Amino acid sequence: MIGFGGLCRGVDFPLGAALLSIVLVWALPAQVLLVGGYAAGNAAPVIALAVGLSSVRLFPMAAALVPYVRGQRTGIGAQLLAAHFVAVTAWVEGMRRLPKLPREVRLPYFLGLGSLLIMASVVSTLIGFQLASALPSWLAAGLLFLTPLSFLIQLSNNARDLVDRLALVLGLVLAPFIAEIGGRLDLLWTGLIGGGVAWVVHRFVKRRQ
Amino acid sequence: MSLDGALWPYLLVILAGFLPTEIWRALAVVFVRGIDEDSEVLVLVRAVATALLAAVVARLVLLPPGELVSVPLAIRIGAVTGGFLVYLLTRRSVFLGILFGEIVIIAGAWYAQ
Repeated sequence: MIGFGGLCRGVDFPLGAALLSIVLVWALPAQVLLVGGYAAGNAAPVIALAVGLSSVRLFPMAAALVPYVRGQRTGIGAQLLAAHFVAVTAWVEGMRRLPKLPREVRLPYFLGLGSLLIMASVVSTLIGFQLASALPSWLAAGLLFLTPLSFLIQLSNNARDLVDRLALVLGLVLAPFIAEIGGRLDLLWTGLIGGGVAWVVHRFVKRRQ
Repeated sequence: MSLDGALWPYLLVILAGFLPTEIWRALAVVFVRGIDEDSEVLVLVRAVATALLAAVVARLVLLPPGELVSVPLAIRIGAVTGGFLVYLLTRRSVFLGILFGEIVIIAGAWYAQ
């Protein structure tokens, strides 16, 4: 999020709106599209469409996580709040830790984890906004690279079953080819095809056992 | 009605940022009502989410944002592969894996300056 702060500073997106986007949007690719669209002077509906398309991944992520935090009497409001905290790091950590916890502490645990991550992002965006042009380019590159590197290693750390490992490998391998075919939904297609194939293999293996 | 220019970015965050992202999260909550956490449907949903995030990783490495463009592709791939191998070789230390990948990319960016 240091990089996000720097981006906002660079295109004169106000700091307050940048911080508001962390709390309300809480999905870095969507925030980058939003600020990029603002900088390019795009109309609000155009930006909203791009943001909406880039955020489809939140659907399977939230759908996989919410059943873990939900109890018999968990209201819809609490579930929506938990779903709001779903973003990559919170999702990866939640999916790893929640199943091992007793059901009654899962919701407060996840809300605490999500709030902590949002607070850390607010602070790092503030730092990035203030430092912006003062960062040497090699350090800026290192900060930007943290996102794919930590995503990959955290995802691998979570992928202990065949189906998750297959989905991870297929996603990595298929992505460049599907991106080549083009379209704005290439990430979604990669997810559906990679995840779908991994699941079919998983079903096949399970049936033969 | 004229929109105050200073307030426009805030309004944009709500209309073009919050609403189009939150809709997917809310739909997910509705979709999983009544689905058990051990259900096979959720295994599929989790696999799709995992493959999607892996695709995000691939895209960020192959088509990187900002300053990363100046680092040659071979070094970017080397850094992410190296970090992953170190993670595997150190009995799955997330910290050491990320640290190694970062050392490679920062050295590469320094060299590419």
